[in-house]
Amino acid sequence: MGNNLNIYIAADNIISSLGFTTRQNAEAIKTYCSGVKPDESHTVSNELIPVARISDDKLKSGVDKYGLHTCTKAEQLIILSINQLQEQYQLNLSSPSSALIISTTKGNIDTLRNATEKPDNSVFLWNITQKISDYYKLDKRVYLVSNACISGISALIIAKRLLQSGTYRSVVVTGVDVLSHFITSGFASLKSLSAGVCRPYDTRRDGLNLSEACGSMLLTTDYCPDKAILRGGAITNDANHISGPSHTGDGLYYAMQAAMDEARLNPLDIDYINLHGTATIYNDEMEDKAVYLARLQHVPINSLKPYLGHTLGASGIIETVLCIHQLKKGIVFGTLGYEKNGVSQPLNVSGIHRHLPLKTCVKTASGFGGCNAAIVLSMEAFKEDNRPSDEVKIRSVKRCIIENNSIVVDEAPVLQSAANDFAAFIREAYKVLGESNMKFYKMDDLSKLAYMAAAYLLKDRPLFNPLEIGIILANSVASLDTDIKHQQIIDEGGNGASSPAVFVYTLPNVAAGEICIRHKIQGENTFFIEQEYSPEKLKKYVQLAMQNSRLNYCICGWCDFLNGKYKADFELMAANKE
Amino acid sequence: MEELIEQLKQQLIEELNLEEISPADIDAEAPLFGDDGLGLDSIDALEIILILERNYCIKIENPAQGKEIFYSVRTLANYIRENRK
Repeated sequence: MGNNLNIYIAADNIISSLGFTTRQNAEAIKTYCSGVKPDESHTVSNELIPVARISDDKLKSGVDKYGLHTCTKAEQLIILSINQLQEQYQLNLSSPSSALIISTTKGNIDTLRNATEKPDNSVFLWNITQKISDYYKLDKRVYLVSNACISGISALIIAKRLLQSGTYRSVVVTGVDVLSHFITSGFASLKSLSAGVCRPYDTRRDGLNLSEACGSMLLTTDYCPDKAILRGGAITNDANHISGPSHTGDGLYYAMQAAMDEARLNPLDIDYINLHGTATIYNDEMEDKAVYLARLQHVPINSLKPYLGHTLGASGIIETVLCIHQLKKGIVFGTLGYEKNGVSQPLNVSGIHRHLPLKTCVKTASGFGGCNAAIVLSMEAFKEDNRPSDEVKIRSVKRCIIENNSIVVDEAPVLQSAANDFAAFIREAYKVLGESNMKFYKMDDLSKLAYMAAAYLLKDRPLFNPLEIGIILANSVASLDTDIKHQQIIDEGGNGASSPAVFVYTLPNVAAGEICIRHKIQGENTFFIEQEYSPEKLKKYVQLAMQNSRLNYCICGWCDFLNGKYKADFELMAANKE
Repeated sequence: MEELIEQLKQQLIEELNLEEISPADIDAEAPLFGDDGLGLDSIDALEIILILERNYCIKIENPAQGKEIFYSVRTLANYIRENRK
């Protein structure tokens, strides 16, 4: 072997409404079977909305088999999914050369229902990390990323970087999300739900279907013949709106272009694209624009959402697994229900399966907070030298700490307030900052805190172009403070009382999205959840991210807010790239 | 009518978290959305739909329909007066 490095996808699994193995899922899709059905039991919604749910009976038999009765549903799914990988490939997760990355948007959020006064520990995302870590004896070699609907693709990109750097030899990536009233009521209030099975790119599309799933992939640098290879990946931000897709598609285009660049491939090498394809009017229109900007409009595309629904933090993983299946079998699954082009510029979509010779595909995702992600998968390994040249070094340019009514920038106090609570403190801080952005007052407290810390970092900022600066943050409570507000509203007033302005902040990465909008930052965003801040671990990853992307600057740090208790510790990092 | 306009301004300020703004600051004729007026966005539009449902028993099923109705506080007040039950 020469000086090339390949990331092989050695094993995979999907647990969804269509089955408990990748094969069952693929077979169901082959026969045009959709898992999306009206929620007649009203387990996850009050209205009769179409959703795709995992079979309780099948789950129970898996839980009995492995004795997982003390785990939550999300944890049960993670373990069942990873155990399936272990049946396919010899994998020792307790070895120091292995790690696990979990991607989820809401984890065990259902345990918050009627329990907002004293939330159970299981509602903390880090609690999932800990339980799974104990189960597989991972000893802290576990990461959890919660970055809205790109979480799954983000996790794959993180895995790729950790493998490339030699930090680990094998990384398991598992994406999971479980449906709940919390989620369905929120999307209903955003008027994003379809009345029937969703119809991506079609003239009659009217919204998305929510659903649940879990999927896992084993990525390794060990040589695996006939396995797909993760050749490139990139993340960007629209810097446009926290919930509305971009009007230009430029963010997603930049992600696809950067992923192809990293894969050392150009648009003519791409045989197939699996888009996010949620079937909302604006998402599909945005993707259409991005595909044209990337000069990929002739490439066959599809969306798998009509079969599986939108599985949120699991979608990036399970859809990538199905991309690999399609590459291997030479089939582009039809976009179920598609009949007539309903986007501005026609895309190469088909309602029926197409048998084509396939070698390479692009998979994308987009999510709240304005984030986009794209990866390139190929059956063809890198033959050329693709190892990064010199190691990029990063240094801290500026630091801002906000806690206990004070703001300190590079160890110099800029504000010490006598305010009684966070609301009064942050209002005072905003006036001291001297900005007059009406949008600030509409943000949730986590976003206000992050916005303020970033504002001080970027005051008299170095000149940067939008794509050379990113945001990589971590915290312990995710968006729990706002999650509690949303849950209280629906506990008290019913699902119909859900407030869209509250619900859009029930994702931690939206705080990063607000910073992106304010400062026109279009580089990557990643949000990790861990019980305690480990600056070394985070900065180590920031270094990898900067080494393997176009980032020259990165805002990184900790940003936690719950019940009026808060702390932000942000640093602006710069890379010494030539 | 003027009373309804004042009431609407108050409700918008409360429900849309328009801190630092008083009813007198809102021009009833000025556009609510876009950069010129109050700078409201699509999420605010959904919240206004909820204000209409909760306080005036008016249901707007299609958010796109809201564009003209939500142009200004006055157009909103007119719509409420005509459709109130």
